[in-house]
Amino acid sequence: MPYVLEVNGLSKKYPKKDVFAVNKISFNVDEGEIFALIGPNGAGKTTTIRMLSTLIQVTEGDALVAGHSVVKEADKVRRNITYLPDEAGAYKTMTGHHYLEFMAGLFAANKDELYKFTARAEAICGLGTRLNDKIGGYSRGMVRKLLLARAVMTAPKLAIMDEATSGLDVINALEIRKMIKNLAREQNMSFLLSSHNMLEIEYVSDRVGIITNGKLMTVGKVEELKNKYSAANLEEVFEKVVLEEKEGGADEIR
Amino acid sequence: MKFGSLLKKELRELFTKQMVITMAVTMGILIGMGQLMGTAMDDIIQSSSTINVCNRDDSEFTNTLLSGITASGSVRINYIDIQGDDYASELMRLDVNNAVIIPAGYADSILEEKEPAQLIFISRLNLGGGFMASMEGISASDVISHIEMASTDEILLQTYGVDPEDIARIKSPAALTEFTVSGSKTARVSPAALTGIMMTQALIAPMVVFFLLIMAAQMIMTAVSTEKIDKTLETLMSTPASRMAILSAKMLAAVLAALANAAFMMVGFAFYLGGMTGNAMEQITGATAASLESAEQIQLSVGQAMLDLGLTLSPLSYALFGLQLFLTLAIGLSIALILGAMATDVKSVQTLLMPIMIAVMLPWLVTMFMDISSMSFIFKTLVYLIPFTHAYIALPNLMEGNTVMFFAGLLYQTIFLLICMYLAVKMFTTDKLFTMSLNLDAGRKRRLFSLKLFK
Repeated sequence: MPYVLEVNGLSKKYPKKDVFAVNKISFNVDEGEIFALIGPNGAGKTTTIRMLSTLIQVTEGDALVAGHSVVKEADKVRRNITYLPDEAGAYKTMTGHHYLEFMAGLFAANKDELYKFTARAEAICGLGTRLNDKIGGYSRGMVRKLLLARAVMTAPKLAIMDEATSGLDVINALEIRKMIKNLAREQNMSFLLSSHNMLEIEYVSDRVGIITNGKLMTVGKVEELKNKYSAANLEEVFEKVVLEEKEGGADEIR
Repeated sequence: MKFGSLLKKELRELFTKQMVITMAVTMGILIGMGQLMGTAMDDIIQSSSTINVCNRDDSEFTNTLLSGITASGSVRINYIDIQGDDYASELMRLDVNNAVIIPAGYADSILEEKEPAQLIFISRLNLGGGFMASMEGISASDVISHIEMASTDEILLQTYGVDPEDIARIKSPAALTEFTVSGSKTARVSPAALTGIMMTQALIAPMVVFFLLIMAAQMIMTAVSTEKIDKTLETLMSTPASRMAILSAKMLAAVLAALANAAFMMVGFAFYLGGMTGNAMEQITGATAASLESAEQIQLSVGQAMLDLGLTLSPLSYALFGLQLFLTLAIGLSIALILGAMATDVKSVQTLLMPIMIAVMLPWLVTMFMDISSMSFIFKTLVYLIPFTHAYIALPNLMEGNTVMFFAGLLYQTIFLLICMYLAVKMFTTDKLFTMSLNLDAGRKRRLFSLKLFK
């Protein structure tokens, strides 16, 4: 079965900077799989995510989303993904309902599909009658729930989420994690997540990739990584990988 | 469908309740100020055609000459009684700003002693009254002119027994016929009367251009930078909506919002300027015509003269002016879009708007106060290189038939727009939108910080 996401030697070098922000990384994501990309600040997670979301150009390598190249077929890639940036906002002058309708309109092929997407998002976000209020009056958590619902309402092949639960309280964050798991299991949606919350990653993801200094150092299931690095939890794995990379003792995944 | 949704969203973002209220309030204020100005201008016209006269001579000679001035219809005489020589308190008591005193013995001095008689003119200085106060009241030279003319009539009639018809012939032995030339055309009209009307047009058209540009630029800069800062742009750009649709929806919405703003503003300004300049014609014709009938005749002849001189715009000229306005607006929007996309926070938007403000304002001021064609080659070239200049000189060029200059400007603007559009499209279709940034404040902060450390 073909992968939903297939990343092959993807690199990004910004002009005026000598080093690669992302250096020849390769990994893949299966259908219905939740893949998490973790790493320290400035490791290259967001740059990778932005390349896969077709927002920034690839310097070297390529990635296929549902069989379409992010380099050559960006338009087709965008039809198969949704992207939720970290600390993203929504249009404050719109009501929650209008926002969902507007975003659904950008994906829907016809009116029926538009109503279907909007109804699904309204059910997922759980904001009830508050959807009739302007987004400007929403709390940070409410905005995040709205955006998460927006990101999954079209049942994309791949949902890319940067810090999916940032700004949410414990209860809401738990709900979102459950929702992501259910969507992956029941609707075969694939997720590419990025987070600093190791507990969340450990709970929600099927496989994890640790990236540091633009290099993908290791990929595997949480349990596999724990065994490999003789660590009690993912946090310890993360620490050991980062230290190894600093000392130059670890081999990156190519 | 996607473009329609995007345009609707952009319009919803721009046409907020606050914006509509601000537009309506601004228009209301301008209309209100226009009414006030109109009333003030009526007072000025009234006061500048009235002579407050204190006739201490009260002889047959002075009474006849004042009656003659009243009969001529050129000015109105308001008879007052100034007591003593404390003029300040007397003007206050009589509630007038100026007065002329015909002293006792005025007639004797002229008729018996054959000496020039003395007149006293008193005028109140009003430094805090602004521009309007400087226009208020009749001038000393006008007063002396009216009284001298009437005195001459009486001297010729009473002392030398000259027939009134001969007096008129002696006083005006030559009649003046004025012609005005514009480009290759000539019309029989006074240039002073023509300039009054042209000034009104020359004020309003560039003002529309100026406000339109600044508003549109500010709107699109704020819209783009806010989207970038809130990361809603990242979300939008990762959807199947085409980049060109996103870009053009933003620009079209900004044009529509700017047009709405400008329409509100211009209705207000039309009232405001109407209050100040609406009476200009009345003033011009009032100075040359004694009656309302002849004032109307002059207005009609000015209208005909404008047609004869080609100073009115044909439908084609209006269309060409519209095209130039559109190009100007599109250039402003493209530059604003590029700069807005490079803003790192809302504060830096204001800083980045400055270069556009300067580029829009500079040619406006230059064209308002100077004749570009008389400038040195270097300055002339520099001013013409600013694309917005061509919008300010479009109307005069079209009216005066400078088609070469007009079309050269149009061509330059088209090339400039294509370059700007290319850069804007490049920005939206590549990753420049997310990788480029320009924070002028950051540099300033660093300099301030280093200054502090140095101290």
